[in-house]
Amino acid sequence: MESTQAPAATALRPLPLADEVSAPFWAAARQGRLDIQRCTACRHWIHAPALACPACGSEELAFEPVSGRGTLYSWTVLHHSPGPGFADMLPLIVGIVELAEQPHLLLCANLLQVEPSALRLGMPVRVCFEWLDSDHAVPQFVPAGDA
Amino acid sequence: MWAFSNKIAVAGIGYSALSRRPQRPLMSLAVEACDAALADAGLTRKDVNGLVTSPAMPRYGGARGTIDGIDVVTPWALSERLGTHRHLAWTGSTNAMVTQGFQEAAMAIASGVCDTVIVYRALHVPQGSYVNYESKYAAAGDQFMAPYGFSVPPSWAGTVARRYFELYGYSRADFARYIADNRANTLKNPNGFWDKPLTRQDYLDARMIADPMSILDCDIPVDGCAALLLTSTERARDLRCKPALLTGFSAGTHPAPAGLPMTLDDIWIGCEQVAQRLWQSSGVRPEEIDTAQVYDGFAPFVYLWLEGLGIVPRGEGLAFLRDGHGSLTGKLPVNTGGGALGEGRLHGMTQLAESVIQVTDRGGERQVPGARRAVATISNGLTKSTAFIFSRDE
Ligand SMILES: [Zn+2]
Repeated sequence: MESTQAPAATALRPLPLADEVSAPFWAAARQGRLDIQRCTACRHWIHAPALACPACGSEELAFEPVSGRGTLYSWTVLHHSPGPGFADMLPLIVGIVELAEQPHLLLCANLLQVEPSALRLGMPVRVCFEWLDSDHAVPQFVPAGDA
Repeated sequence: MWAFSNKIAVAGIGYSALSRRPQRPLMSLAVEACDAALADAGLTRKDVNGLVTSPAMPRYGGARGTIDGIDVVTPWALSERLGTHRHLAWTGSTNAMVTQGFQEAAMAIASGVCDTVIVYRALHVPQGSYVNYESKYAAAGDQFMAPYGFSVPPSWAGTVARRYFELYGYSRADFARYIADNRANTLKNPNGFWDKPLTRQDYLDARMIADPMSILDCDIPVDGCAALLLTSTERARDLRCKPALLTGFSAGTHPAPAGLPMTLDDIWIGCEQVAQRLWQSSGVRPEEIDTAQVYDGFAPFVYLWLEGLGIVPRGEGLAFLRDGHGSLTGKLPVNTGGGALGEGRLHGMTQLAESVIQVTDRGGERQVPGARRAVATISNGLTKSTAFIFSRDE
């Protein structure tokens, strides 16, 4: 039987610490699903998860799956690692994605599998998931091509 | 318009030395700036009965904690050091930014709680990386940003500038003239940090922090303190310097979307909200402004404030600067002393001080001839932002 090899001591990116409000978002990410908080009263989508609906004030909120599709609202390109764990991702693209479900429903993530020079405002992107360690998966985005 | 418009004035300006890694503790720099503001007004420590600041580190974590007098200077510690604690009537310190403290100081004077208030901001830059994300977990709002490396403030501004560039077809080259002219203004300012000119090419070649934000798009972190002395206009007229009258001010309450620190569209809305409240409080119109001291902790805010203030429509702020209209001899001289890019990170004190300087004819080589009204804006237009109109005493 092969002995278990100790994992390399690679620096980790900061891990998202789920809290009372955000836990369902991260639980869905672990299942490879993008769930976004939604107001049950007025149907407004909310991100980051909140205690009350910014549109109508209702506290009746629940998480629902979204299409995982969106467009690129803006981005920045980091050529120096912003902290431990990012060194092998340079140049690191931080994108702000506007989800298809609602105007100005914005979510921050890295854009993977794309060169900075290929980025365009409004380009279609779709979600994928990346594991930071065995317990933490985060949504990331890749170009959606012509789809 | 307010009841106390033009009835409160700035009667003294004081700066400590501004430098990187000085040997002196921050408390010593704060005392130097306060004493300089008092001397400028022809007053002494015993005349002060209000002290206000925002005694926060710009951004800092780590095991060592925050030491009063070294990392921050609280008004209670400073008061004891100045020996004013026996007669001080009021200290203010609960604000997110010092410029909100300035507004409270004006209200404290208008209400009669105090008659002489020093507003100061003392900033210390700790050793090591300015933003050091050393914890294993990212909690609260950070959980949606730090796992993606989106924890460096210039990268936040980078997403704002990128969207602006893409929407209107601008590039960094369009900003080069403003940055070079701004450095020229800095060299005419005795409090300026820099002593060398900068060419447009230097700007284009600058080290990139978070594309399109380069090192020259960010204010430089310095150790130092700036102080302003406020009193009633009536009393200020008997003091040593010409007073700069506080005509109006406003504060912003438009938030960024949850999960993000700022976006271009929210900054526009926020700047417009702050501006609308400013014109209302002061009774002044945008076309009556002779010089604009707009916040440049991150340089893209400069053109966004020009748009928010209604000086140019959305999307035209950068063209206005590109064409030289914000230069010292342009239509509306902007950041005549070099702003925070030129003086260093004083969280808006630069914009207030330069406004005072311009409406009191103390600008020397960088004076806008006959400037009657200056507008100052601080922060990015979102919550915690502030704006001010200062007028010449005529
Ligand atoms: Zn709702």
